[in-house]
Amino acid sequence: MVQSSKRSPLTWLVHATVLFLVVIWTIPTAGLFISSIRDKDQLSVSGWWTALSTSEQRMVTRVTVPKKPLQEDGLYVLTGNVFEDNKQGIVTRFGDSSLRPSEFESGKVAELKRELTLTVLANGDYKMTSPKAFSSRGKRIFYTAEIPPRFTLDNYREVLGSEGLGKSFLNSLTVTIPATIIPILVAAFAAYALAWMQFPGKALFIAAVVGLLVVPLQMSLIPLLRSYNFIGDIFGVGSKGYLGVWLAHMGFGLPLAIYLLRNYIAGLPREIIESARVDGATDFDIFRKIVLPLSFPALASFAIFQFLWVWNDLLIAMVFLGNNPDELVLTGRLRELLGSRGGNWEILTASAFITIIVPLCVFFGLQRFLVRGLLTGSVK
Amino acid sequence: MNKSILSSAIVFAITTSAFSVSSAQAEDLIFPPGEDDRFSWSSYESLKSMDLKGEKVSVFGPWLGSEKEHFDHVIAYFEAATGADVEYAGSDSFEQQIVIDTQAGSAPNVSIFPQPGLAADLAAKGLVTPLDSAVKQGVVNDYAAGQSWVDLATFKDAQGKDDFYGVFYRADLKSLVWYSPDNFDDAGYDIPETMEELKTLTQQIVSDGGTPWCIGLGSGAATGWPATDWVEDLMLRTQSPEVYDQWVKNDIPFDDPRVVNAIDEFGWFARNDTFVDGGAASVSSTDFRDSPKGLFASPAKCYMHRQASFIPAFFPEGTELGVDADFFYFPSYEAKDLGNPVLGAGTLVSITNDSKGSRAFIDFMRSPIAHELWMAQTGFISAHLKANPDLYSSEVAKKQGGILRDATTFRFDASDLMPGKIGAGAFWTGMVDYTSGKESLEVAKGIQKSWDAIK
Repeated sequence: MVQSSKRSPLTWLVHATVLFLVVIWTIPTAGLFISSIRDKDQLSVSGWWTALSTSEQRMVTRVTVPKKPLQEDGLYVLTGNVFEDNKQGIVTRFGDSSLRPSEFESGKVAELKRELTLTVLANGDYKMTSPKAFSSRGKRIFYTAEIPPRFTLDNYREVLGSEGLGKSFLNSLTVTIPATIIPILVAAFAAYALAWMQFPGKALFIAAVVGLLVVPLQMSLIPLLRSYNFIGDIFGVGSKGYLGVWLAHMGFGLPLAIYLLRNYIAGLPREIIESARVDGATDFDIFRKIVLPLSFPALASFAIFQFLWVWNDLLIAMVFLGNNPDELVLTGRLRELLGSRGGNWEILTASAFITIIVPLCVFFGLQRFLVRGLLTGSVK
Repeated sequence: MNKSILSSAIVFAITTSAFSVSSAQAEDLIFPPGEDDRFSWSSYESLKSMDLKGEKVSVFGPWLGSEKEHFDHVIAYFEAATGADVEYAGSDSFEQQIVIDTQAGSAPNVSIFPQPGLAADLAAKGLVTPLDSAVKQGVVNDYAAGQSWVDLATFKDAQGKDDFYGVFYRADLKSLVWYSPDNFDDAGYDIPETMEELKTLTQQIVSDGGTPWCIGLGSGAATGWPATDWVEDLMLRTQSPEVYDQWVKNDIPFDDPRVVNAIDEFGWFARNDTFVDGGAASVSSTDFRDSPKGLFASPAKCYMHRQASFIPAFFPEGTELGVDADFFYFPSYEAKDLGNPVLGAGTLVSITNDSKGSRAFIDFMRSPIAHELWMAQTGFISAHLKANPDLYSSEVAKKQGGILRDATTFRFDASDLMPGKIGAGAFWTGMVDYTSGKESLEVAKGIQKSWDAIK
């Protein structure tokens, strides 16, 4: 009893801190999600937090003048609704001039210049009368309205309905899956060798791998593409293609992969590996039967890393795969949707949630391995 | 487990691919050849003399989205007439990618440069192919102020020899002020004819309790460029075009009093809290794409917005040009005898990987039909004299085309002509510093210093 009452304030503090951090970390995602289901015109004028409650907004609409004017008691009449496409809201005030946009209360009949009258009701219906025929260019009605929160899936429809998205999805998978598996395979072999095999210059190799970690990939784009061109010319094939992207991703991913896996594998209990050696196992047996199953957590976490990085990559795919519509990866396709000057950012919000689906599947799928691997590794 | 993830991912991919539509539609000819006689069909017919069956032409440019669609429609005519297979790819990081591709030796056949300065850099490395003198002569004859378009595309090659490298296709007009005619009517303002009147109007709007200008410089990594357009426009309105040319080439230093004066002229508009929506402090943080929306807010956040001809793309949806929004020419000083200078920009079509098909494509790009086909869609202004102005899709575009053709002085966007480190670097950041309160002379000195460093 005494012990628990002593501990509880600290526990509470920990819980509160964790909760606080979780909330802080989720807010941007929540904001992005809310933005993604908002109307694109609203998105550019107000923040996502305003979308949750009824808000007062000032808007403008232009009355449409029909070809055949309606006549009532010798007056020309125009009717309509300020909320054109069944958007809902309550009009509180209205006006006819940009200088005084909320001059009149809704429901009142406003006397305007040139004997015009205008009424806007709370439900948005308006009526305009004039002794003379209306000019073809309609007048503007300014109104202030209480608009309830309004959500739409239009942004998602626009992204999913865009031409060539499915093809790009396949392209992205074609790039990502081999570009994740190949470096893991290579790195696992290399990591085992660097951790448990004895050969001259081992320390140098490790130093070189660590050194390669700091090479920025932007620096190597031109020389790499140039050597692809050279090799492509020899075999008479183009320099841009999936093989090139896979190799590039492999090259850029390997240093980190080898470094991570080597550290993990070197930390495996020496006794297990030595007793296997005593029992006559070859290096390949040890690698396959002992090291590989024990390193699942490291392999899985690197796989998640590499998958995310390749899936989200734009630069390498653009340089080594090209810009043609048939070869565009998902990131490239979404960027194309943004337009030449990058204005339509409502597309970004929706596409973020569409692209995130696959990495999430991968993450949750591999997370099980991660946990199971940790448990098996704890048997010592 | 792993397998089931992969298979579910693949299933997802296949279901999404059901959304995709074949791209074959883009290859239809949207205006049937020979029907509408406003088009120069003769120049389309003459294309047929070239037989390019099986020839592949890769074209790389900056256009995406709807602009890409328009351009694809234009290309379709070239393909139909010659039998060539043209692949256009666009990228919004064109500037970076073309450098990588040309240097690594996998350049596209034809590149469309948004900035001649970049083409000049590549030409100096011998990565762009010079064009025949026949093409050059064609541009001189067919374009309004043809010689100046030729000069803009004449660069030094690897040996330091001047050569002609590309034809301009699609111009942008910068000297425009956008406004809402209804708001001007409501307040009883007239369109200013001279810079003096524009300044008086600015002050009058303030004394009436309004805000005259919306100015936004934000543009991600390129933040600051809209201010360079302002300064260039004001440079042309305070100094002779010759001084402007010297400034572009740095024959006069950036901190020359005449340049500093133009920066201060911009400051007159942008550094006055009452003149700008949100106050002077918000100028550099407002995105240039959001800035014009203030014209259409209720009540209007501002009355005027100076921006190039492309800006209607960022007006709120449903805005009708000519009704809800219109523009007037950014006027020149009555007191200064400098005529009506026009600032503009344009995209340069050049060959980066020579072939028979790419030569033919350049010929197509300078033929009237190629200009007319995009004019008849939307968002295209041409300086081509033989392209029929009746084909402009809107009165607004026609008016802009008229301004471009009738300009007494046409000058190209200076920041696009300056070396990249200045025109797409120090000049931008300098203008952001200036709007944030730094002194103009200090800013100009800073830019000159960066220029000295790269000489």
